Amino acid sequence: MTKRPFLGWFASPSILIAFGIAASFLAIVQYSFRANIPGALDPGGFTLENFTTLWKAIYGDAFLNTVLLCLWTAVFTLLIGYPLAYAMVRARSVRLRSAILLISLTPLFLGEIVRTYSWMIVLGNRGFLNAALMQMGLIDRPIPFMFTMTGVVIALVHFTLPIVVVMLAAGLSHIDRNLERAATSLGAGRVRVFLTVTLPLSIPGIVAATSTAFAWTFSAFATPQMIGGGQVQTISTLVYQVGFASFNFPLAASLSLTGLLFTVAVLAIFNTGIRRLERIGGH
Amino acid sequence: MSSETRNDAAVQIDGVSKSFSGTVALEPIWLKIRRGEFLTLLGPSGCGKTTLLNLIAGFLEADEGELFIDRELVTQVPPHQREIGIVFQNYALFPHMTVAQNVAYGLRTRRVSKAETAERVAEALALVKLQDFADRRPRQLSGGQQQRVALARALVIRPRVLLLDEPFSALDRNLRTAMQVELREIQTRLGLTTVFVTHDQNEALSMSDRIAVMSQGRVRQIGAPDDIYDRPANLFVSTFVGDANLFDATLQGVQGGAAELIVGGAPLPVETYQEDLPEPGPVTLFVRPEQCRLTGAEEQGAVPAIVALSVYQGSYAELHLDCAAARGGRIMLRVPAAKALPAGIPVGIALPRTGPAIYAVEDADKEVA
Ligand SMILES: Nc1ncnc2c1ncn2[C@@H]1O[C@H](COP(=O)(O)OP(=O)(O)OP(=O)(O)O)[C@@H](O)[C@H]1O
Ligand SMILES: [Mg+2]
Repeated sequence: MTKRPFLGWFASPSILIAFGIAASFLAIVQYSFRANIPGALDPGGFTLENFTTLWKAIYGDAFLNTVLLCLWTAVFTLLIGYPLAYAMVRARSVRLRSAILLISLTPLFLGEIVRTYSWMIVLGNRGFLNAALMQMGLIDRPIPFMFTMTGVVIALVHFTLPIVVVMLAAGLSHIDRNLERAATSLGAGRVRVFLTVTLPLSIPGIVAATSTAFAWTFSAFATPQMIGGGQVQTISTLVYQVGFASFNFPLAASLSLTGLLFTVAVLAIFNTGIRRLERIGGH
Repeated sequence: MSSETRNDAAVQIDGVSKSFSGTVALEPIWLKIRRGEFLTLLGPSGCGKTTLLNLIAGFLEADEGELFIDRELVTQVPPHQREIGIVFQNYALFPHMTVAQNVAYGLRTRRVSKAETAERVAEALALVKLQDFADRRPRQLSGGQQQRVALARALVIRPRVLLLDEPFSALDRNLRTAMQVELREIQTRLGLTTVFVTHDQNEALSMSDRIAVMSQGRVRQIGAPDDIYDRPANLFVSTFVGDANLFDATLQGVQGGAAELIVGGAPLPVETYQEDLPEPGPVTLFVRPEQCRLTGAEEQGAVPAIVALSVYQGSYAELHLDCAAARGGRIMLRVPAAKALPAGIPVGIALPRTGPAIYAVEDADKEVA
């Protein structure tokens, strides 16, 4: 300890935070096994009823919705994020690289509420997107984006993009350029080099980015709440509704807990699947 | 003339140059690499060796000038169509493929049939003595084995030119020597035109048919190893390749083919291989350590010096001598280990009458490597 005299000081905030998280987590676990007394904020005695309640279709739908939302968001974020990350790592011009970095990172600094409101303006029936599409004559009636899965996914993709771009870029920048040069010298054109060298070697980055995107979207609240407007029910919006509209804290707690376990399970399945895929791919 | 000489040049570089955002990496260079030749690019770090190699490979575009491979103008040909084999210092093996898949890569891009691919991969692996490692992953191999895979991968496509960028500098000394011999054998057997980059002069001297010594983006001399070592064209080459002793001297004039010098107060007529001698006046005399002979301090015409340090090197000893007539006051001689002298002993140095070179003093001020 004498060698790192400040370690204790620097570590103490993180210990405080860890205690805070542990305490609230314990509170949620505890609440989720307590009976709800309608009209009272304090819960009743021990029960498993909250969890049996969750078997109802409405909750099942929320789980399914959440997974679909995460899945679509992850897929589209990856499709948009990969080329961006690639360009960011490989562009020769420093200016282009910083421009891409700036554009893909700004959503992080905007805050969820501001960003979501902006999207409501863009996605509304008379919003920018529909107006533009109608002006161009591509559609003659506005496409409903607000209060739909599509709208929520669009906003969530924007929300998730920064983290995915950064993680993919980190992965891509670790690929030795000489590998691509070697492949080129052996007769592979750009596309072939990309498909046989760059892409396979960026799989670890893709896996990391997708898992994070998944967890990131899973915990999103303001976006599905405001753009989904109650029509797109996810686990987090449901927790809010049950907890703060019905004041059923125990049920909200058990919903949160199940949601957490569910995320862990989905990510675990996802990761084993990928690992299997990698083994087939010859990693 | 150019069409005829181009015939025997496997690679011809005509005034190719390259700058990176204003800084010149390579001045315009003219170079002909003969068919089947082992040419080494030798020079200090940052002199443009890798840049030149990348220009030949097509990874960089030349600012000006033209490049021919097998008489074909390839300046505009993209790198994947140049049919060039490359071996990198860090091996650059595909980590997600086996040894065999790595070697087969260049055949798959050429749509070679499965049977022929298997045959040629086996052949290439046998050439580098790695038959038994076909199914391993690169990371399961030692550095020397990985470099051999890289070599097999480059050779299997039967490239028109093989380029190697400091391929052995990550290997330890014994392995390095073994790999040097192995590469030279394979290269000679296949008659492969080879451009080899190194900043290790011993490697360059021992392996090459010809050496191009580079500094600051220019080729300073190109020639056979003994040309470079015995008849360096300028002071940079003299001091970069091999050890050099430099003396402050005065050139009095040229008499019957011999330059009349005064070194350390004594007259010294020198027959040099040089065609151009500097103007009479103060000059710098360049002598290899093995051309200097150690004598007694009293010997007539010898340059006086005092032993400063004796360094035991096994089969010989390096004597570092303080010498007032030497540039920088120090010179070095090699003597049999048994004849090493302790510090403080006064000695004389007899300089050779033939062999040394005479350079202008300004050269010495800016060019000593
Ligand atoms: N992509 C680049 N951008 C800017 N400058 C570069 C680039 N590549 C090389 N240079 C510069 O060009 C010069 C020559 O570099 P090069 O890599 O050819 O040297 P080298 O002889 O291979 O050196 P080393 O022995 O260290 O590998 C150096 O001054 C280097 O800084
Ligand atoms: Mg280099």
